[in-house]
Amino acid sequence: MRTILQAENLTKVYRVGSVDVPALRGVSLDVEEGEYLAIMGPSGCGKSTMLHLLGGLLTPTTGRILIDGEDLTAATDAKRTDIRRRKIGFVFQRFNLFPTLTAEGNLKLAEGIHGGSDGKKGGDPERRREVLRLLQLEDKMHHKPLELSGGEQQRVALARAVVNRPAIILADEPTGNLDTENSAIVLNMFQEMNYRFNQTIIMITHNPEAAAMCRRIIQMRDGQIVAPGPRVQI
Amino acid sequence: MESLVTANVRQRPVRALVSAAGVALGVCLVMLFTGLARGLSNDLERRSQNLKAEIVFTRDAGSTQLMSNAANLSVKYAEELLKVDGVAMAVPDIRYVSQGGKGFGFEQVEGVDWNQFAAMNGMSLVAGRGPQGLDEVVIDEAKSRNNNLSVGSELKLFGNQTYKVVGIYTPEAGPRVKMSLAAMQDALQAPNKCTWVYVKLRDPARAVEVARRIDEALPGNKIQLTRDIITNIEKSIPYLGVFLRTLVGLSALVSGLVVMLAMYTTITERTREIGILKALGASRGFIVGEIVKEAVFISVIGVVAGFAVSFLAGYLIQHAYALPFEYSWLWGLTAALIGLFGGALGALYPAVRAANLDAVSALAYE
Ligand SMILES: Nc1ncnc2c1ncn2[C@@H]1O[C@H](COP(=O)(O)OP(=O)(O)O)[C@@H](O)[C@H]1O
Ligand SMILES: [Mg+2]
Repeated sequence: MRTILQAENLTKVYRVGSVDVPALRGVSLDVEEGEYLAIMGPSGCGKSTMLHLLGGLLTPTTGRILIDGEDLTAATDAKRTDIRRRKIGFVFQRFNLFPTLTAEGNLKLAEGIHGGSDGKKGGDPERRREVLRLLQLEDKMHHKPLELSGGEQQRVALARAVVNRPAIILADEPTGNLDTENSAIVLNMFQEMNYRFNQTIIMITHNPEAAAMCRRIIQMRDGQIVAPGPRVQI
Repeated sequence: MESLVTANVRQRPVRALVSAAGVALGVCLVMLFTGLARGLSNDLERRSQNLKAEIVFTRDAGSTQLMSNAANLSVKYAEELLKVDGVAMAVPDIRYVSQGGKGFGFEQVEGVDWNQFAAMNGMSLVAGRGPQGLDEVVIDEAKSRNNNLSVGSELKLFGNQTYKVVGIYTPEAGPRVKMSLAAMQDALQAPNKCTWVYVKLRDPARAVEVARRIDEALPGNKIQLTRDIITNIEKSIPYLGVFLRTLVGLSALVSGLVVMLAMYTTITERTREIGILKALGASRGFIVGEIVKEAVFISVIGVVAGFAVSFLAGYLIQHAYALPFEYSWLWGLTAALIGLFGGALGALYPAVRAANLDAVSALAYE
């Protein structure tokens, strides 16, 4: 198994006015290719901060992050954006779809950004169709987010994240805004992605059932990992 | 594929339309003002070029500016001028600037012996006869057409004196309304006076030579070649160019500011979407590009609408006030570029601001 993500001794201190708020106090983490990892912990313990660091949306105060061999922490802002474009897919609690675009439009936008300089503007229709079929969204392709249920929106967001075959999917409470039924559907999709495509996923969740589907669970408290659970082979 | 740009425009059609209208306004300003300036200047030039007299003779004190109301030259000079070798005709003339017919702008009236003037310039009547009585005028075809006047119509000059149209002539030359010299002298209470004398030569090629002879025979007067006066029309409005350039600059500013404001508000509104773009890995260039593309899209609509409105407004004004509009490709191109660049530049600042937003706080924006 190949290590796809390596975080070493990450700290993050937010500055609010003249007050320093330490959100992470030295977190180290290795993630292997194809892992499905859950991060749990009480609100405010630094889970989102860590996910944002791993995705290069924030820079750590100290520490180092390697993604697929590339050093995120040494990179410039533009370079971090570029690594994110090529390697990371985000899924958020609030779906964060473009309200003006259809489901398909949202996917194509992501493909367009991913294709960027390669000039692969049109994306890969084959891949898109496959992902939409897997997420049972074929008949919702031409709907805009407001015309979709929360569960459907989150499935579109997941489709958008996986359509470019990112090295890692980072999901921040993806079922936090969903009812039990839709949560179950979305979690099944995550598992399916992990199982079928060997997709690496790091997911923050409060839901023990969601965490139970993962191969490893990490517990956080006060900006630190308190229980780095064992890896479970399925 | 439906792009972000068109999707955004469709999401907020009113905002897009108002921005486009701002760009259109800038285009309209440029097109109408430059069209009018060109139209007026070309019109004046055309009418001047149809004057075939080679020399204009005035008193030194009297100015040869085309908009002078002085009639202070004795008509006797005409007789003296005829005695100079090489002079074929000498026609005394009064020009008077009168308040325009609709109280808008002003127009010139000319008092001149019709038969002599017509013979000198190769003009003829297409209807009616030449002016004889003190209340009779002839007009050119453009005046007849624009003001809906025909033989028998009346028109008011010098405030509210009524004159009768007795003839319509062609081609246009000098002021569009002409009466007899006597009628003008009567109206201005300047018996035996004129503004200047048109001098037609036997041999047009010898204008300089004859002018010198005239100066020797009648020293202390002003002798100008008609061709010099014509080229002076442009120069006689020396600040027109500056005025037009200022106007063009202001139009660019208007277009730019309107688009900037529109893009600025839209970017605040879409802060979270910009956060999403960043999470997807969109570069600064991509984000700036999308916003500028949207601005250019709106600007193109504005430019097209601006042209349409300019042509329509020009047409209506031309018919209502007989003001000539002449559009040029060059100014049209300038107006279009101003609309496009004004729009794109206006969008640039908000676009760069958006690209610099912090991704995490943009995503948290409500
Ligand atoms: N932008 C910020 N500025 C200041 N403090 C922040 C900011 N974001 C998060 N924090 C603080 O950092 C800590 C960790 O937050 P977060 O990573 O969002 O926790 P979690 O996702 O586990 O709920 C909290 O105390 C929170 O208040
Ligand atoms: Mg959180």
